[in-house]
Parts: sequence; structure tokens; C-alpha cells
Amino acid sequence: MREFMHYITNAFYGATGWNDDNTYKELNVTARELIDFPLPRGLRLTLSSLATPHFATSYQLGSIGVVDGSISYLHSTVPLTGVAARSDHIPLPTLLRSYRRLHDLGSRNTGRWGVPKGEGVVDGVEDQCGDSLFYGRLYLPQSLLEGLVVRRFSADLQVQLSAVSERSLRNGGTLLGLIQYDRGKYGIEGLASTDGGLLGFRGLYNFGGDASPPRSPIAGTPVSGGTPTGNNGSGNDQQTAATERERDRIYGRFSAGGEVYYGTLNKSGGTSLGLRFATLPTHRGTPLTTTLTINPLMGNISATYAVLARDYCSLATRMEFNVYSYESEWAVGMELWSNRRPAGFLLGADPRSASAREEHKPQPSPPEPSKKERSFQAKLEWRLDEDDDTKDNEKEAYRGVLKARLDQNLRIGLLWEGRVKSLIFSLGSGIDLRKLDEPFRSLGMEIQFSS
Amino acid sequence: MAFNFNWSPLTADAGFYKRARDLLTTALNKSPKPPIIVDDIIVTEFNLGSVPPDLEILEIGDLAEDRFRGIFKMCYSGDAFLTLKTRVQANPLNTCLSAKPSFTSPQPLAAASSLTIPLQITLSEIKLSAFIILVFSKQKGLTIVFRNDPLESLKVSSTFDSIQFVRDYLQRTIEGKLRELFMEELPAIIHRLSLQLWCPDQIAKEDEEAEESDEPGVNPLATPPLDAVDLHGHLLDPTAISELSLDGGPEAQLLFSQKTLSRLSDITNSQVTSSLDTSETTDVLFRAWAGPDKIDPNNTPPLSTPNLARSSSYASPHTYTFSDNGSQDQGSMSSRPSLVHLNSATAGLSLGSGRHSKAGRKKKTRVVNLRRKAETEPNSEQEDEGTFEDASTGMPASEPTLPHPILEVPEEDPMLSKVRFGRQSPDPQQQQQHTARGPSFRAADAAAIPSADMANLNLSSAAPTPAKSSEKQPQASLATGAKSDLKRPTSSSSRLMSDTSSVILEQAWIMKMAGEIARRVYDEKNGNPPFWDDGRDDAPPPAYEAQ
Repeated sequence: MREFMHYITNAFYGATGWNDDNTYKELNVTARELIDFPLPRGLRLTLSSLATPHFATSYQLGSIGVVDGSISYLHSTVPLTGVAARSDHIPLPTLLRSYRRLHDLGSRNTGRWGVPKGEGVVDGVEDQCGDSLFYGRLYLPQSLLEGLVVRRFSADLQVQLSAVSERSLRNGGTLLGLIQYDRGKYGIEGLASTDGGLLGFRGLYNFGGDASPPRSPIAGTPVSGGTPTGNNGSGNDQQTAATERERDRIYGRFSAGGEVYYGTLNKSGGTSLGLRFATLPTHRGTPLTTTLTINPLMGNISATYAVLARDYCSLATRMEFNVYSYESEWAVGMELWSNRRPAGFLLGADPRSASAREEHKPQPSPPEPSKKERSFQAKLEWRLDEDDDTKDNEKEAYRGVLKARLDQNLRIGLLWEGRVKSLIFSLGSGIDLRKLDEPFRSLGMEIQFSS
Repeated sequence: MAFNFNWSPLTADAGFYKRARDLLTTALNKSPKPPIIVDDIIVTEFNLGSVPPDLEILEIGDLAEDRFRGIFKMCYSGDAFLTLKTRVQANPLNTCLSAKPSFTSPQPLAAASSLTIPLQITLSEIKLSAFIILVFSKQKGLTIVFRNDPLESLKVSSTFDSIQFVRDYLQRTIEGKLRELFMEELPAIIHRLSLQLWCPDQIAKEDEEAEESDEPGVNPLATPPLDAVDLHGHLLDPTAISELSLDGGPEAQLLFSQKTLSRLSDITNSQVTSSLDTSETTDVLFRAWAGPDKIDPNNTPPLSTPNLARSSSYASPHTYTFSDNGSQDQGSMSSRPSLVHLNSATAGLSLGSGRHSKAGRKKKTRVVNLRRKAETEPNSEQEDEGTFEDASTGMPASEPTLPHPILEVPEEDPMLSKVRFGRQSPDPQQQQQHTARGPSFRAADAAAIPSADMANLNLSSAAPTPAKSSEKQPQASLATGAKSDLKRPTSSSSRLMSDTSSVILEQAWIMKMAGEIARRVYDEKNGNPPFWDDGRDDAPPPAYEAQ
């Protein structure tokens, strides 16, 4: 489960129209999240709230033998009005992050809430420049302090500054500065860290698919959010048909990138190169993502493959091989969505009828706020609201997800996440099949409530 | 006398090398490893070789059936070798990021992927030269301390011998680690091994101690405070402080267990601060327990008795008494424990934190007073020696006298000399000496804590051990004599009850005087007065309030 503050930070990116996927760091994120999902440890309770559209708080209390906790605050200069923050309304797939489809590259050209800028939105570029987000978190018994500042300087440029302060760290803390430049077709990042004087540079270049220069003017446009065909010009029927045929084959985007790091103080460095192919949301076949990364210095080759096999099921594999040490690794991950009510049979109710009832019950309440939104922004974005509605319906269908992974050491990770009433829970366990006498390596539960 | 050391039987025992390998492996993996080492360190080969070390006996301090203490000089340049196997992380970025918080991690995609390389290290041609202090007793097992750095040279050969830079680095690092091993780990290993052999029942206790020893212990002797002041606010010069600390190095350090000292410091801290946590300290007799109406003179609490009755110079348990000198000093100095190491026959007499003893080589009565040393007048020193002669004369004073912790207060009051050794001192002069010294630290004590001090330690029933050496004989008889007529000092709390009015007057007067003196001293120092006697009226902690 993503933490609430992480979710809100992503909502901030969404609100300012920043595509946080267009960076080399996120090259293999699809497979990584399907395989390396974090397992909860111990008992953890999170109480969060988006008190005003600009301000969010979150309190966490955990217990792994000892009780610990954290307090965090977030302030955004952009009103996050459209964000579903209440835990009974948060769309589960967004929060629990299933198979991630690529964002369209045109998203930076859209204003708030995905509204295309060309359509006369007033609060466009000007407002994006200077939008900032402040986030701070204090872990209590350890008195570890985390801070994050994100500031958007222009439509293409964003700067992030993150810092950790803790007594046990050298110099009392570390600071990481990250400057991101995203042109859609390519995105580059430069970073500097006080930790060992690390300097880094990474870049990603997209080609093929929607990134390639369109042979037809429409090739790119339908991608940007599944626009209704009515928007496209009238005389392009033939070409549309051609692209449709193309999409019936395989239709996706290639990305290639690399990273270089150098520690100025400890005189160490590292580099890697990567390649990705991912189908675009408009692709009609099975969505898939595959990546290949090479670390030429250390001789490490890693390949991942992730596929959304069904609407409710995605699978991922990863293989690694080191040409110097001949070590190899593999891991598989799976995600299974369910529309059953999670605790239905525990409560003795027929899951179907219960789900039906549930389906009925929340229905009256959500439309009210969204109705308000609609009236508020109706003229501009009826299309988006429609999108939201359909998404909402989809999400209501899913009530829980089971994630599982297995690696070459025969370690199994199981995670069951879902929603009970207005609580989002996450129950996870790590199992080691090699040690059958005490197979449970870890066991944990996380409960999140937000309003 | 002859000793017979066998080197080859060690190697003849088939199980020995396996056991030693296991012990070394666990010792090497115990401490948290640097992130560059990604696997366990396994000792694959270990051989002591055929050349025995040269052992030279420098001194034998103590020799009996069940105990031994001696100093040796050891030289070794044999053919022993040791082979270790582990795996190291070759990607510097990986090791550099692994120990850092993930929040500020640059999160490299694949640049930090790991490359582990198996590493084999052989240590050979070890040359050692060391002074070893060896202490053995049946109860406590075998303790070995290296007095100097034993490692002279050694040869490290590894998988990376072809790379000059790596080889030099390994050589340097391993030499450092090995020094640490010799100085810290090896004594612990040997001690455990000896416990397994002689007293297996202690092992469980040792484990607990090992866990607790992780806490940062406070050794007041090793680290004197920065700005030490004495009772009256005089700054002490560092030399005086260094005199306070124990001489004799590791030998003397053996007397004090780190655990107990840290507990003691916990307790004192809990009095200074508002901490509710008072850790339990064994082998301790609090004055507050020995309240006058609770305990009759001939019956000390059973808890304390067995400990006080033990003998043997090094192996005896340490008994600490608290003398709460309360608010004599300001704030942080308010209650410093005085540690009294009691010993067999002289146990009863070393009572009273103001006293000290000459530390003999064989029979030791050590009083370590942690209070700051005041300028002691020469004649008080003499007096002290005079009074103490009955306890410790005749002993070979091979160690220097510990400095005097007696604190001077010009006024004295016979009423307030509360610690009395019931033995009626025959000549009035000695009585005079008692009273002369007694109030020196008690006057202010009583002013601050009217009743705490009256709870006196009663050690009279501590059974003295039968005298062992002929040298001890006169003392022993004296001590038994002393013991027999050691009486409970008439509790001055009850006395306070009886003639309350005069005592109240006295107290008020003493308080005033002490405050006056302190203020004057303090004024001289910094000229900042009224704060000084604020703490004076503090009520004593409830635990110390005698009824």
C-alpha cells in the first residue's frame, strides 16, 4: 500500500500536470512494483486527512516489538480539490498501484486535471510555475526528520529537494537535490547529494509509438487520453483506419536511457544503460512492458517482463545475471484483483448480495460531492468527469487485491489488501520455504483511515 | 616449583580445532559487519602449528589451589595460520547506498546492482610479543588481559594479492581488526571457555551480562568530569583528579564490574533527575534499609550477609555503600555514590565513606570515593592513618595510598558523628579523632538530609572469614574482637527525636554555617550567590528517609 502522503504527492504531480513516469528512474517500475512490493511488518495504523485542499496531515502509529510512530504534514500551493482522499472513496487501483500503464507523453501539455491547455484554460502555465509542495515528517522515538520540497519552475522544469536529519548519520543528515527537465520526448535529471558528494545524471529518450514523429497528424492525438473521435478532423478516416490496423498489431513506445553517478568524496562511481518497450493505453491487445538494463561496470544484466494478462490479473518476471560472477537471480510476481467483498464470508453474508448492497449503499453518497465538482467545472471538462465516473464504476468493482511473489531462494511474499467499510487494510506475510520449521519470516498488518 | 606447559596436546585433541573454529567464526560474525561484507565470515582453516610460544614468568602474585594470578611475557613466532572465507561487495555504489536512508537515496536504477566476489584470506607468519596478566579463580574462571598490543607483524595473503592497492588495504585493515580481536574478543572467548570448563552454571549469567554490557557503561574512574569542583566549589586541578582514579591499570579495573558501575550511575542519575527507573543493584546495602528500628544490631538483612562474608582478594564481590551527601554539592554533584570495596576481615572497619585504607597487595581494602577531593590537611591524614592502623597495619603497603576524600568543614559537632564503630576506643584522643573527622562531611549532610544519614550500615554481623595467612593473624584477631563488640551505633535519628529542640537549633545553625561558607566560597569564585543554598532545603528522596 502506498502511504497516504505518497498518494497526495502523486496527486500534486497530477494536479500540476507533471509526468513523473518520464524519467529513467522509473524505467522498470511496472515490474518492480509487481515483484518488490513492500510487506508490512508488525501492526501499523495510519490516520490521515486532507484537511483543506492545500493541507494534509498524517499520523502513524506502529508496533514491531516497540511502539513507534510518525507525524507528517504536507502543504501544497495547488488546491488538490479533485483528489479523492477519503478512505472510503479512494480508488483502490490508484492507491494499491496495480500494473501501471504508461502516461501519454502529451500530458505536460495539459493543464490541471488533464484539461488540454489549448482549450482556453485560464490557469495554465502561469500557475504551474511556482507551484510548490512542502512535506515534513518526524519519526518519533528515533527523532528522524524527513523533509521534501518540490517546486515547479516552468512547464518543463521541476526541482526537488529532500533531506533527512538524524543523529546517527554522518554530519547529522543528508540532503539530495534533484533537478528534472521533461520535454516529453526526452526527460533528463541531474542530482547532487551531500552523501559522499555524489553527483548523478540520468536521461531517458522516447522513440517509436506516440513519440515518433507522426506520419499522420492523428497518430499522437488519440493517445492523449482517449479523446472522443469527434475531436479529430473529419477528413482523416482512411488514416484513422490505418492507425487502427497498426494498433491491432503491436503498438507501443520504446524508451532508452542511461545513468552515471560519481561520488566526488569517495571516488566511486556507477553507471547503467536501459531499454524499455511498453504498449500504449490505446493498444488493443494485451498490455505489456518489457525492459532490459545493463550495468557495464559490474557486468549485471537484468530483464523484466510484465503483462496485464486479464483486467484483474497481472504478472511479472525478472531475471538477473552477472557475467563476472555467474550469479543469477529470478523472481516472479503476481497481482490478482477481486471484486468480492473481502470479509464477506467471514461475516456470514452472501458475498454477492453483500457486494450488491455495498454497491448500492455508497452510490448515493459519492455523487453528491462529484456533482458539485461537475457543476463547478462543468463547462470545461464534462469529458473528464465522465472519465472519472467510469473509473469510479470500475473501481467499485474491485474490492481487494492479492499480491504474491516468489524468488529463487524460495521466499514467498503474500499481501492481501482491500477495503472494509472505510478502512483500507493490508495484510502481509513473508514465508521462507527453505526453513519449513519456522516458515513465517514476517507478518504484518497495516490499517489506513483517511478523511 | 615447576610448571609444565603442554603445547602438543592441544593439537592432539581432535575436537579442539573444530571447537576453536566455531568459536572464532561466531566471534567474527558477532559484531555488525561493514556493508562491504555480504556474507558470513567463515573460518575454514585454523592451525596452531608446532612451535610453541616462549613464555616467561615475570611475577606470580597469588597462588593457591583454587586461584592464580601472574604476569607473563610471551613471544611467539611460530607457524600457526588461519584462513577465512567470505564474500565482499565489489560495487562501491551499492555499499555506499545501503547504509543510507532511502528517503534521500538517489535511487539508481541498475547502477547499484550488486557484484559479490568470494574472498579468501590467509593469515600466517604471526609474530606476537605481549605481556599477559592472567587471573584464574575457581569461581570466576580464567581472565586474560593483554597489557600491551600483542601483535608485532603478520602476513596477509588473499585472493587479490596481484592488486597492490587492495593488498595493502587488506593488510592494514586486518592488522587493525586483529589488534582489536586480541585486546577485546580473545579475553572474552577465553573467559567463556574457562567458564564452560569450571563453572557451567555461570554461563547463563554471563549471557545476561553480555546483553547488558551493550549499554554504555559509566566508568567514573576512567573519565573524570571536565570541570570538577569539590564540595565548596573549588576547582580541582586535573592532577588531583587523576590521583583520585585508580592506579594499577587493568589489574585494578578488574575490581569493578562495568555493569555494576553503570547501574550505580543509573541510580544516582535517577536521584538527580526525575527518572522513575531505578535499576536493581545486587550486593548493595542501602543505608535506608538499615533503619535503626527495623533491624537489631546482631541481625543484618540476610541479603547482604553472604556477600560480605566472602573472602579472597580479587574474586570477592564488591560491596558498595551509598553515602548520600545530598545537597552538599549543587545539582549534578548532589549525590555521588561512594564505592567501598569491602574485604574479608577488614570489612566492618572500612565502613564510612570518608575513610580509606591503604591498599595492600594481598589483602585489599579499597575505598574509592567519587566525591571530589578537598584539600586535606596533613594532620587529618595522619589521624586517619592512626585510626586505621588497627585495620590495616602490618600489610605490605605495596601500592600507593589512595587520596583522601575527606571534606573539610571547619565546625564540628559531636552530636552528628553518626558512624561509630561500637568498639570503645580506649583513649580519649582517638575518640577525639573520630569526632574530629566524623562531622567533616556529615555536618552538611545532616543539614540537608536530617534523617537519611542516620540509617547506618551495619556490617557488624558480617562474618569475617577465618584468617588464612599468618600475616593476617593479628588483624584477624583484632577484627573479630572489633566485630564482637561492634554495636549498632545509637541511631541519631532517635537521638534527634529525644532532644529535638537542641538538634533543631543545631541543624539550623549548621545549615546556616554551611550555607555561609559555601556562599562565601562561591562568591569568591564567581560572585553569584543566592543560588548556592537553594538546594539545601530539598527534601531527601523518600527512599532515604529513615523512619
